Amino acid sequence: MHKINSNNILFYFSISIIVIIFFFPFFWIISSSFKLPQEIISKIPTYFPHSFTLEHYNKLILTSDFIKYLINSLIVSFLSMFISVIISLLAAYGLHKLKFYGNKAVEHSLLITYAFPGVILLIPMYLMLSKIGLLNSYLALIIINVTFASPFAVWMLKAFFKMIPIEVEEAAYIDGASRLRILFSIIIPLAAPGIASIAIFCFIISWTEYMFASVLISGDDLRTLPVGLAAIVGQYQIDWGFLLAGATLASLPVIVLFIFVGKYFVSGLTEGAIK
Amino acid sequence: MKKINNEGWLFVLPLLLWLILSICFPLYIAIDLSFYNVKIIGTEGQFYGIKNYIKILNSSKFWSALNNSLFWVIGNALAQTFFAFLIALTLNKKFKGRNIATNWIILSFIIPTVVIVVIWKLMLSSSSGIVSSTLININLINKPIGFFGSPNIAFISLILINSWRWSPFLALIILSGLKSINREIYDASKIDGTNIFTEFWYITFPNLKNVLFVLGLVGTLLSFNVFDIIWLITKGGPSNATTTLPLLIYETAFTKFRLSQAASLSVITSIILLTYSIIFIKFMSEKKEDA
Repeated sequence: MHKINSNNILFYFSISIIVIIFFFPFFWIISSSFKLPQEIISKIPTYFPHSFTLEHYNKLILTSDFIKYLINSLIVSFLSMFISVIISLLAAYGLHKLKFYGNKAVEHSLLITYAFPGVILLIPMYLMLSKIGLLNSYLALIIINVTFASPFAVWMLKAFFKMIPIEVEEAAYIDGASRLRILFSIIIPLAAPGIASIAIFCFIISWTEYMFASVLISGDDLRTLPVGLAAIVGQYQIDWGFLLAGATLASLPVIVLFIFVGKYFVSGLTEGAIK
Repeated sequence: MKKINNEGWLFVLPLLLWLILSICFPLYIAIDLSFYNVKIIGTEGQFYGIKNYIKILNSSKFWSALNNSLFWVIGNALAQTFFAFLIALTLNKKFKGRNIATNWIILSFIIPTVVIVVIWKLMLSSSSGIVSSTLININLINKPIGFFGSPNIAFISLILINSWRWSPFLALIILSGLKSINREIYDASKIDGTNIFTEFWYITFPNLKNVLFVLGLVGTLLSFNVFDIIWLITKGGPSNATTTLPLLIYETAFTKFRLSQAASLSVITSIILLTYSIIFIKFMSEKKEDA
């Protein structure tokens, strides 16, 4: 029985490391965002706020542009998600369900897109968008987000599509249904969990994007949340309370989304990987 | 059995067109730009041939950034492998709350990178951060550590922060590999009286080869491309110690305003990564044929 005991100790040890390293930091910033400034930077850490205050949240919501940035981020992320899901679904259907000449080459070149660092595209993208007058627009960011989210989304869908037996759609095809109709009335309902997982993936990619948003958007009106927050991080005298409240609220939408469809995302990741 | 069906092209077309416009066309512009000497955005430059490339290959900044990128990729691979396995092996055990833990471990991956920066700047602050003060309280150190102050420590701190972001994501992918390993192999080894380490080395590890192969290579590309975490925390400092190639490109273009030079740097970087990916995909397809 000893062996099991030593294994148990190891198990509790790794659980505690995981909790301390991967979960505690979230608790820490959320708890700190309710503390008064002097308590946040106090040398003796307090786990729960002794000086509970909503001051930072008030300041953030009432006197800063936070809400404006939040709305911009929501618009950009939802539109990016919507477009990515549609074109990835079509592409995944074409790639994984209909065999065509060049099928493998397309699949591989999709993977290669991840070989190009975003920063490489940043310069020419800037030039291109400024030529056609799309700098400082939601569309500029949407173009980028869809580009970075879709190839991986197509790959994630592969596993879900593979689970649908080919006979189901062949039968429908023989009955005279068009490919598009088969996609919408047969494949999509069957692959719904997969679609939920790519949707959340695309949303996350868009929600967290910083580099392009910081360069392609110069006006304050269209700024997204990450760029707005980064501006505060860069200040010499950081207003920690304000920043922590901002960080907490900026994470909230993805967390809320995750509460509802998180398990699909996690299973989508783990299904896609082994196939 | 499957028929060739060229209708497939129609479905792939929207995505392909999108990527051609947003990746291939910009790449073409970058290559073109790299042969001129355009400086500030919006100005015209004259033809410069391959002078930009010669300049870059002769500059110590390029080589030191390449060197940093190399260490960055290796350091991240090591740290992420460690944390990802720790998480995956733990989550593979049955315990109360395991489902919740599995779903939420990925929290560090779904929040904006700027929030990650805020979290770690606060936790690692040298004057009042909880990490320093806890280490002092348990007498491990006697004065606060400046986690971003000196070149080596800053580099390591950034690697750990970036690994903090990515490890849970990788752990889930490893977990899927673990779940596909037949339980009976483990049970058989239990009877033979192996301990947890020999079990890992002789059963788990070999069975995960395929998953690890993909992670090792795709993970490398993803780590290589990291920009925002480094930029927002150290801006490449102290004294360029954390300037990797993506940062050098950004700096050259947007703080030094040498667009063409940045474009040449981008082309060189793309060539390095493309070569790497092509080798990777070649290996992958060979592996698949073997299986």
